[in-house]
Amino acid sequence: MLIDLHPANRVLDETLRERFNGTPEKLGQLKLADFDGVSYKVSTPDSKTVLHVSMYIACFAQLRAYGADDVLRREYGNLLEQTPEDGFDVTVKIDLENLPENKEDLIRKVSLLKRNALAAPFERAFTAQQEGNESELMVIQYRPDEAFYIKAQHDRVTVIFSTVFSEETDRIFGKVFLQEFVDARRSPATQNAPQVLYSAREPPMELRGLPNVVESENVGFVTFVLFPRHFVGPAAEGCISRIQLFRDYLHYHIKASKAYMHSRLRIRVDSFLKVLNRARPEQPDDKKEKKTASGKTFTRKETIGRPLSPVHDLSSHFQDPLHNPSTYGHCHL
Amino acid sequence: MPGVTTDSRSFCSQSNTLRPYLAAVRSTMTASLCLTNFSSQVVERHNKPEIEARATPEVLLNPVLISRNESERVLIEPSINSVRVSIAIKQADEIERVLCHKFTRFLMMRAENFYVLRRVPMSGYDISFLVTHVHAETMYKHKLVDFLIQFMEDVDREISEMKLSLNARARIVAESFLQQF
Repeated sequence: MLIDLHPANRVLDETLRERFNGTPEKLGQLKLADFDGVSYKVSTPDSKTVLHVSMYIACFAQLRAYGADDVLRREYGNLLEQTPEDGFDVTVKIDLENLPENKEDLIRKVSLLKRNALAAPFERAFTAQQEGNESELMVIQYRPDEAFYIKAQHDRVTVIFSTVFSEETDRIFGKVFLQEFVDARRSPATQNAPQVLYSAREPPMELRGLPNVVESENVGFVTFVLFPRHFVGPAAEGCISRIQLFRDYLHYHIKASKAYMHSRLRIRVDSFLKVLNRARPEQPDDKKEKKTASGKTFTRKETIGRPLSPVHDLSSHFQDPLHNPSTYGHCHL
Repeated sequence: MPGVTTDSRSFCSQSNTLRPYLAAVRSTMTASLCLTNFSSQVVERHNKPEIEARATPEVLLNPVLISRNESERVLIEPSINSVRVSIAIKQADEIERVLCHKFTRFLMMRAENFYVLRRVPMSGYDISFLVTHVHAETMYKHKLVDFLIQFMEDVDREISEMKLSLNARARIVAESFLQQF
């Protein structure tokens, strides 16, 4: 459904499927974009049967510090290149002549490249919590002015997003949306959801005194409190994918409602114009386009000062060859 | 007079204060739309809306302020050849303020299509209309008043509908996200 965002990159997914199922051919260079300034490059630099998929992600240094290399090695095994391509952070090499039995599985894995890289700090926090340890506060600056923070405590994992609203309307719409996130837990369908806290301007207690925490009118802080039931065992994978996409999901829906308002206003303005035009009597220079019974359209022209019948017009014309026909104007047949 | 007759159909759903408010605006507008051509007495061969030029004090009439409450009010400033109508729209909270701002900006950017709309509202008001004698001569007066009244009704309704739809969307979005856990 359109309402949810998918963690996999759709274009990457489709490109790979096309490559895996078609005959191998030389690929120039395909550049793709994803949320949060992530970009991919798909190319065949060496031979047309070896596909390189590279990803650039701004906060890779931070992710590496939290164990991104281990997660990626676990997911991609020997497909992962030791040294990524120039200007990129991760490169996966796929030999099209040596594809595994389960192509779909590989496609899915590779299109989740961004998700897997960002999963590292989450997995680290989840493991720490399950072992009963507290982890340090992990900072991932995934956009220039926005970051998320993860901290494992002895009974819970806290994920805090800072998000910037670029304009006044976004900020107010964002407030409405976030308030609903806070309130939504009251409904029975979302009883199992993690607790969501929201504070505008003021960073929550956990972030007090941290460097680089932007405090301004346009910044909001959203805290998710995850308990073991949210991330133990098979629940972890979905939980990570959803929490990661939270910021994009929120902004996507803010933009969508702005677009909806815009189209509504357009319709309303049109209806106002109709009401106002009712106040204007029909103007003589307005085009009078009429339809005949057979459905043809014609425009009625002014007849004042012209002969009534075109037949009459023509006959008088023929009877008087010296008369200049242009004085009669045009006849309409 | 066709202008002062009230359309009972449109009043069915209105609250008790809205009805006299709109009726007062309607009759004041109808009365002040007695406009005539008037050349400037200050500059030769100029013919300007006197209410905007304000060069000749004796042709400006007393402005009328009609208030429904402290946030909703209409200022009608008549003169010999033009009437300026400024409307303050109800803005109960931040969301309504933003929606109202969006709406009026949207209209004023299209002012040339709305012959009587002013591009900039009077200070303290959200939207202003300027009706000159040319408009009064080329348009039906009672329908022009109808337009202003309908505008006032619809703006309030549109803003509250948009606010409701925003809240409804926010709830669906939040629930859809949190349900997945």
